This record gives sequence, structure tokens and C-alpha cells, in this order.
Amino acid sequence: MVSPSNVTKRRRSTFTWRRRLVPYVFIAPNLFIFLTFIIWPALRGIYISFFDSMDGSQFTYVGTANYKAIFNDPTVATIARNTAIYVVFYMLISTLLSLTFAIIINQQKFARGFFRSIVFLPVMLSPIVVGLIWNDVLDRKVGPLNTLLEAIGGGSPGWLVEPKLGMISAIFVGVWVHLGFYTIILLAGLQGIDSSIFEAATMDGATRWQITRRITLPLLKPTTLIIVILSTIHGFQSFDFIYTLTGGGPLGATTLIVQYIYERAFQSPIQYGLGSAAGVILFLIIFAFTALNFLVGKRREAI
Amino acid sequence: MRKLSARASQQTWTSVSNRKPPSVGSILRTSLLIFLTLIVLIPVAWFMLSSFKDLTDLSARPPKLLPTRWATENYTEAFKMYDYVRYFSNSVIVTVVATALTLLVNSMAAFGFAKYNFRGRDGLFVLTLAMIMIPLQVILIPIYLVVSSLGMVNTYWGMIIPAAATPTGVFVIRQYMLTIPDELIESARIDGAGEFKIYARIVMPLARPALAVVAIFSVLWRWNDFLWPLLIAQDERLYTLPVALALLNGQLVVPYPVVLAMSVMSIIPVLLIFIFMQRQLIQGIAHTGLK
Repeated sequence: MVSPSNVTKRRRSTFTWRRRLVPYVFIAPNLFIFLTFIIWPALRGIYISFFDSMDGSQFTYVGTANYKAIFNDPTVATIARNTAIYVVFYMLISTLLSLTFAIIINQQKFARGFFRSIVFLPVMLSPIVVGLIWNDVLDRKVGPLNTLLEAIGGGSPGWLVEPKLGMISAIFVGVWVHLGFYTIILLAGLQGIDSSIFEAATMDGATRWQITRRITLPLLKPTTLIIVILSTIHGFQSFDFIYTLTGGGPLGATTLIVQYIYERAFQSPIQYGLGSAAGVILFLIIFAFTALNFLVGKRREAI
Repeated sequence: MRKLSARASQQTWTSVSNRKPPSVGSILRTSLLIFLTLIVLIPVAWFMLSSFKDLTDLSARPPKLLPTRWATENYTEAFKMYDYVRYFSNSVIVTVVATALTLLVNSMAAFGFAKYNFRGRDGLFVLTLAMIMIPLQVILIPIYLVVSSLGMVNTYWGMIIPAAATPTGVFVIRQYMLTIPDELIESARIDGAGEFKIYARIVMPLARPALAVVAIFSVLWRWNDFLWPLLIAQDERLYTLPVALALLNGQLVVPYPVVLAMSVMSIIPVLLIFIFMQRQLIQGIAHTGLK
């Protein structure tokens, strides 16, 4: 026989037990997707990188052979060099230009909202369409840019057919697409700065340039650090607009690491192990750069 | 009366003459911004004009600014020769369902993190944010193998579900929900409302600004997303617009003017969002935790 008091006690305990479960129920769906489609694949990727597979069902253990193959492959060396050049210039130019435009848009009184929208417009375009747009504009023979250059006697450079110019074009278009995103984040950071600081500085007779150098830039440092980190990560991830802009050419000059991973998996000969190993390396590089940026940023702040 | 208006006009006149001439700095600034405007708008405008040119016009040297004949057949061919309607509706289906799912799972997680105390909360929240460090590109092959072992290749769900949970979405909505007073939830509880009802009826309506930002970004990203649908939609029936554009562009048999026309049509929904929502979008970024 169960006494009535016992029943209420048990009921209460199941009640609190159920109540404790509530928050877990709320985060469960999100967490489940993360576990299935990010964490599990990430772990599996590390595992696969020690195997060789051409179909995804039969795996042969090869030890560190994939990593050795990557480090000894001259094509990968070129791709690594391309990626390094792309990321460094993309990051530097994006950071400098987004800082410049955020600061001048913020100072602008006339048509500020218009310019803010204009800088953001390319962010909204599909990278595929962006590649097509610039393919059209940079065309060697019938593109408007070269027509203009010829008119002023600048010759007709092969923007998308000469290796070096191909890389320059890819970096330029990369900056063109994403600049608005960084600028808007910096503009948000600028709005977070107390305007009375600027007023006080102006009253003390500081010029606009002095205010920018001595007050705005130092106060904007945390946001700038985020831009540096984001643009580094975005740089390493670049692939989609390059796919329609140059397709990785001319002569592989704009083939970056993500295209390499993609081709290992979806172009014959299929080499899942090799592609996964490249993915692991890409993760380590992104992780290292993010950590480095944080550490350098933190130390600078301490000084 | 006359005196008054005379004085008024005089005042305007003096105020104009008193205005400081534009400084070198402001001239420089405005010209830089105009230069930026040209660099953004000219390529887009050129591209749109190109989509109305026929092949003769497209290969004319020097190129023509305006088409000699407005080749509207580029647009009609997109519907006749290719299944543009299907690509478009695939994009709509994926974008709409994925955004709805993202809003649901992200806001539920955000509510859990913002309004409950439970064991492992901080650890799980950090784990959620750490997902930013593992972009799709890094796990491209293993995630494809996982999705394919689940039989989700060549399905809408395969395109929609894997990327539906986003760390930034959880973060942005959680930050906003933290500002909703706990008393509101307590009093609802006293009134006998269940936990799910509190989430759906009280917290969600109040979190609308944050949800709007996450929704806009999700729509933009899904509409333009290329790499993931490219892997999953291998059957032409499932191509989204970016996948169709990229693959058709690579084929010699596909007339280039038609690709241009399809591209322009694919930009239009996004441009509409841009024109009508840019204020919410840009202010949303400024006001939510995205900075």
C-alpha cells in the first residue's frame, strides 16, 4: 500500500525532475544539429584523414601518408602560396578600406544613409553572380574597363587571363564583395563610442585628423581586431565567387585551398582521405591565426 | 507684412553667406564616397544592361553601353530552354523552410540559455559559440559523407537541415532575450502558463527585433549559398539558382546572354529586400550583438 503522502512526494519529485529537464529540451534541437552535422563530421574528418578512400564506404588505413603527400605535392605548394598571398592582401586591404570608409561615412553629413547602403549593396549579391559581373566588366576585349584604359592609352591588360593579374583581380573582387559587411560592423562600433569625447576634443581645438588618429582609432581597436579575425577566416574560406570569376585559373593561379578540398571529393580521381587531411590542416591554420590575432590584440591592449 | 518678408529673405541671404565654404577634408571625403558609389554601381548596372544584349552586341568592339536592340528574348529563353521556374522555386523553398527552421531551433536554444539556470549551461553555450571555428569548408568531405549515409543527398532536407543551427543566431537572440525582464516570465508561471507557452506567447513576440535580424541574414545567406547546395543537389530537379547559374555558365552549349538574364532575375528578390529592409538590416547589425 502506498500512503497518500508518499504519492504526493513522488509526484512532486517527478514534477521537479521534469522541470529540471525543461532547459535541456529547449537547447536540444540546436545541439542535436551541431552534434550530427558539425562535431561528428569534424571528428570523422580527423579519422578519415588517416585513411584512403575513393567511394566513402571502403577505407584503407594509410597512417600519415595523406599528410606527407600534401606536404610533398608541388601543386599543393602553389595552392598554399596562392592562399597565403590572397589571405594576406585580402585581410590588409579589407581592414584598411573598411576602417577608412567607416570613419568617413560616420563623419559624412550629406547623404550618409545613401553611402552606407551603397557600401553594403555587394554583400547582398550571390557570390556566383558577383563572379559573373566582374567577368563581364574585366573582359579583356569587350569589357568596359579595358575600353576605358585603351581610350586613355593604358593598353588592354588580361585581367583574368594572366596569372598575376588574375590574383590581383580575385583579391579586388573579394574585397569588393565583403567590404560593406566589415564597414557596417565598424560603423556599429563607432556608434558605441561616447560622442561627448569628440565634442570635448573639438572644444580643446583638436583637428579632425588628430581626433581620428588619437581618439577614434584607439577606441575602435577591439572592433578592428574582430575585422582582422573575420577577414582572415573569410580569406581562408574563399572559393565561391572565384569559381565563376576565374575557375581557379589562369593556370591555377587563383586556386585556393577550399577549391583543392572540393576537387579531391568531387572530381576524379576521388581522394576523400587527402581532402579530409587538407580540411584538418585548414582548421589548424584558421585556429592558429584566430588565437594569434587574439593574443596580439590582447597584448597590445595591455600596453 | 512686406517688412517681415523682406527681413526673412534678408536673413536667409545672410545665413547662406555665413555658411562656411566646404573644407578640403569634406570635399575629399565626398569625392571618395562618390568614387565608391561608382565602383559599386557601374559594374552592377553594366551587367544588367548586358543581360539585354544579343551575342553580336556582347562581342562588339568597342562595347556598346546600351543594347542596339533590347534582346528581351534572353529572358523568355530562360523560361523556355531551362527550367528557370523550378530553380527559382527550389531557391524559395530552401530559403523559406531553412530560415523558419533556423529561427525555431536558434530561438529555442537562446531561450534555454537566457532564461534558465541549469547544470552545464555555460559549457554548452561556449560549445555553441565554438562552432564558429569550424566552417563548412573545413569539414566539407566528412559532412558530405555523414549526410550521404543518412540518405539526405539529393533531398531538400539535405540542403536545409545541416546548416540550420547557427552559433551567431543563438548568440544574437540570447543577448536580446537577456534584456527581457524575468518578472514577466515569473508572473506568467504563477498564472499557470506552461514553459513552452511562455516561450511561444511571451518571449518570442518580445524578441522580434533580434529574430528579424537573424531572419534577414538567414534569407540572404540561404538565397546566395552555393557550395553546400552544389554538393547536395546533384539532380537538376533540385538545383537552386546559384547552383544552376554556376553550372550552366560552365557549359558551352548554354547561351551566355541567357545566363546573364537568369542572373539578373536572381538578384531582384535580394534587391527588393535591400531597398525595403536596409534600415532594419543595418540598424539591426548595429544594435544586436553582431559587433
